[in-house]
Order: sequence, then structure tokens, then C-alpha cells
Amino acid sequence: MRFPGLVENEILKFSRQRRFRVVVLILVALIGLIVFAQSRGRERFAGKEWHVEAQERMARIQNWLRDGRLPPSQQRWARFELDRMRYHLERDINPDAISGPLFARGFANAASYLLLPLLAIVFASDVVSAEFQQGTIKLLLTRPVGRARVLASKLAALLLAITLTVLFGGIVAYLFGGIAYGYGGWEAPVLTGFRVSGERLDPAAVRSIALWKDLVLAYGLAWFAALCVGAIALLTSVLLRSTAAAMGTMLAALIAGTILPRLAPSWEAQKFLFVTNLPLPDYYSGSPPPITGLTVGFGAAVLAAWAVAALVAAFAVFVKRDVLA
Amino acid sequence: MSAEAVPSGSAAAEVVLSAEHLTKRFGRREAVSDVSFDVRAGEVFGFLGPNGAGKTTTIRMLVGLARPDRGRVRIRDLDLSRDFRKAMGHVGCIVEAPDLYRYLTGRENLVHFARMLPEGAAERIPELARLVALTDRLDDKVATYSLGMRQRLGIAQALLGNPDILILDEPANGLDPAGIREIRQLVRHLAADRGMAVFVSSHLLSEVEQTCDRVAIIHRGRTLATGPVRELLDRVASDRLRLTTRPARRAAEVLAAFGPAETSAVGDEGVVDARIPRERVPDALRALVAAGVDVFAVERSLASLEEVFLEVTGGETV
Repeated sequence: MRFPGLVENEILKFSRQRRFRVVVLILVALIGLIVFAQSRGRERFAGKEWHVEAQERMARIQNWLRDGRLPPSQQRWARFELDRMRYHLERDINPDAISGPLFARGFANAASYLLLPLLAIVFASDVVSAEFQQGTIKLLLTRPVGRARVLASKLAALLLAITLTVLFGGIVAYLFGGIAYGYGGWEAPVLTGFRVSGERLDPAAVRSIALWKDLVLAYGLAWFAALCVGAIALLTSVLLRSTAAAMGTMLAALIAGTILPRLAPSWEAQKFLFVTNLPLPDYYSGSPPPITGLTVGFGAAVLAAWAVAALVAAFAVFVKRDVLA
Repeated sequence: MSAEAVPSGSAAAEVVLSAEHLTKRFGRREAVSDVSFDVRAGEVFGFLGPNGAGKTTTIRMLVGLARPDRGRVRIRDLDLSRDFRKAMGHVGCIVEAPDLYRYLTGRENLVHFARMLPEGAAERIPELARLVALTDRLDDKVATYSLGMRQRLGIAQALLGNPDILILDEPANGLDPAGIREIRQLVRHLAADRGMAVFVSSHLLSEVEQTCDRVAIIHRGRTLATGPVRELLDRVASDRLRLTTRPARRAAEVLAAFGPAETSAVGDEGVVDARIPRERVPDALRALVAAGVDVFAVERSLASLEEVFLEVTGGETV
């Protein structure tokens, strides 16, 4: 009963606070800066006769294939590379050049382990603690509405805010990337499905898919990771009742997560930490994971387990605990 | 407004809220011990005690923010801990300060809290804004409101659900005398004309004396006395006399034979305060006349609640 109204309340409070505008501004400014800096670096390579180069490369690959000297695993590579060259030549797009959609894809990888979780934290750490700090929690919890329902409405609004942030980030990355690199190239083939077995990339499951599908998958994974971080940050907000403390705690965890795999790569148990599993889009596109044994499926499962545990704890504490602040 | 204007403590009025043996411990310290009282429809019930006496902790238990370690709260025959949602449908409250969303306007705050109530609460917003005299400022941000305006907006918020019981925690805090009078009139109006039960906590004796019908006095987590304000006043007031006499010193000497008497008068004419049992007052006055003392006025002085408080707490100040 009345649940949509409660969610509407939470959205009203979200949208009226400055942090929403700050997050939008951060995304626009940051992506703008990245595009600007990258396009500067690339100008040096511009102006080469890429048509000629691409055709020479295709001829070389076709020769290798005809010779039959390539091992089977490399033949797959070679065929994919031919497809890719053909796609780009047909559309008159430099195969080595970045495109708007490709930039957006790169942004998903780069943003998934720090920026998007950070923004999720900015939203989530405020959700409950702000009500405590403003004293409004006393009104919120003395209405004829159960406490679990109040927290559920906050969670719903938080998930919506994170979803919008990820979407907005992707759209801005595409738009800004498009200014610099053009808006086409949605159908360009990309390789996906790498698996790491032992020390080597296992190409057995590699297949080529259209860039737009890859893009949707990457953003889906980044979104999932950000939602899980949001759920964990919600717990810190419930427990600590102070926005600054909650945000500080989550930031420390996030930073530790980016440092730890580099400083202690041999400590395998860290793959059960949630922070280690945030770069889901990275693991999915096949870049070698920092810790052996990390895959998309494993990472998603670890994140989901953390998120569910955090939500259970957050609800239990929120419903039970006396409000004395 | 005076207390006798209202049917105070009549057993006929329905009990809306009752606290039964409420006890709350923080660690080893018992902040509230075995506090019990009833609040009835149509009365203003005062909850009086110094800061730190356990008033706010008690209120937090009344509205379900804190769970009592022992005892229970009943609202209209509903056990608060079992039927929280139904019970809270009868309650409007302000706990501690009128904390509202400062970045929202007054109207948005009311809409926000109306959404947490059954259908129809939002339609009462214009009427309530008029009642608390905020119609003109309703679309301004709460951050721009004075404390008095926030207090009134808080009351409008508490009334959104048309509650049977209104709980206000220190509503006079931080208000100027005009603001205090406005709140007092509003509270009296709600109790007298709408039959609402109103629970008001305060550390100001004069405030409770002027606003409330019945009072519970709380000190160090325990209720020391509960009853109609009149009755508590009479307990202390019955033997108090204040006389204006000349010469005042001579009068005090004469009256000392009937009971403790003292004067602070320096000159000839002055006030003498004496405590003389009712039946001995005529003799005392005859004795004064016989001693050649001029008597200009004799008043039976009503004790302030402060004196009641001093008496029931055994002399500890508020």
C-alpha cells in the first residue's frame, strides 16, 4: 500500500539535493576531459594512408591462411582480423581509429572499478544517514508505515539513481566520443569470450559479436557492479548514521581494492572481496585478471553475495535499532 | 488560558494513550523507570521535568522510535509494539525539534509526509496551513523559516493524519513570548474544540501551568506525581498566605505564633508570607488587629508549579 508514493518521496529528496547535480557535472567534466586528452594524443597518427595499409594487412593475412601454416587457434584470429578489416574498409572507417561507440566501450571498462562505484557510493552513503543527521528520521519512522517499507522505498530510489547514472555516463561517453571520433561503427565486430587458463589466453570460446551488443553487455556488467556497491554502501549508511563516515569507509575499501591486487597478487583469498570483482566488464572482455581464477561469472556471484548479505544486515539493523539521535 | 475552564481529568473521557510501566536502560543506567500515565481525549497533558529527566526517552518510546525494556504503550487499545502501523495512524508528533527537510518548501514537506498517510491527507494541507498561519510562506524553502514557523509547520505536519493524539516535545523551546502564546492557544483549541488528546512535554513550569489540564512530573526517570494541575497546586497552596501590613515586622512577630512567617520588608509597610492552616486564619487576623497592625490585603497565594516541583522532588531545583 502506498509504496509508489514512498518511492516518489525518496526521488523528490534525491533530485532536490545538490549531489545529484554534482554527479552529473562530474561525469560531463571527466568524460569531456578524457576525450579531449585522448584526441590530442591521437592527432600524431592522423593523416597516414590507412586504406593502403589496411589492404596490405589483409593481403598478408590471406597469404598466411592460404599457406596453411597457421595453427588452428591462430586461424580463428586471422579470420576475425579479415572480417574486421573488411567491415571498416566497406564503411570507410580507419580500423585503428577509435569510434564514438568504441570510446563508450572503453569508458565502461575504465569506469567500472572506480568511477561508477564511487558515484554509487556518493548516492548511497547519504540515503539513511542524512535522515539521521537532519533529524527527519524521527518523523519518517513515526508514520503509519513499517520501517522495512521505508528502507525498501529508499533502496528502490537508490537503484534508480544508480541506473540513471550508469546510463547517463554511457550516453555522455558516446556523445562526447562521437564529437572526436564520429558516431558510426555500431556494427563493427569485436572479439569476445576469452578465457584465461593457466598463464595463457584460451581462444576456444572466442567469438566475434557486433560492437553494440558488446556495449550493452559491458554497461550491463558495470551497472550490476555499481548496484552491488550501492547496496553495500547503504549498509554503511545504516550502520554509521553519518554521511561522511559512511562515504569515507566505502572510499577506503574502494581504494584498497585497487591497490591490493598490485601489492599482494599472490594472496588468492582476495578474490572473495567485493572490490576485487568490480571490473566485471574487464574480465568479460578478456583482459588478464589480476588474480588467477577471476571470471565474469565468479565476480558477479561474489558481488551478488556481498550485496544480498549487506541488504539483509541493513534491513535487520534498520528495523530493529532504537532511534536515539 | 486558565486550567479550570476545561473538564480536567474527568474519568468519563476516553483514554487515548497509556504508558504502562515504561522502563528503558542505557547500559547500566536506567533512563526511564516504571513510568505510567494515561492521556484522555480532550485534555492537554503536561509532562514536566528538568532537562535530562527522561522526557524525550519516554516520548521516543511512546511513538515507537525506541523499544521499552519493560512495559508497553497502548494507543486506542492497540499495543504499539504489536500493531505499530495501526496505532501510529492515530498519532501525530514532533520529537525533540521540529526537524523537517530544509531544502524542500513547506508545502513539499507536507506533501512528503501526506504520502505516508492514508488517502486524503494531502487535501488537508490548505486548511492546516491556514490553521498554523503559514499560507503565505508555504512555497518558501524551510531553510528560510524562523524557528517559530518551523515549529508551526511541524504541528501542521503532525495534524495531517487527523490524529486522536498529538505529542509535542518541548513546543515552547526557542520561541519568543508571542510564539509561545500562539502555540498555547493552538494546543488549547485542538483539545477543547476538536476533542484531541494533547501530550506536551516541557521543562518550563509556567508553561505547563498555563497550558495543561493534568500533569505528570518526571525526575531522574521516575514519575513523582500525576494529577490535575489544580490538585497539585492545592497540595502546596492550601496554607499559604500573603499579607500586606504596616508595620510588617510587628506583623511577622505576631503571626509567628500561628505558623512560620517571614517578611522581606525593610521599611514600615510590606509583605509578609506566612503558612497558617486554614482554620486558624481568622484567629491570626484578630491577633494582628489586636496588636495594632494595619492589614491592607490578605491573599491566599496559589503556589506555582515550581513550588510543587520543589516539594515533590524534595527540594531539588529544576
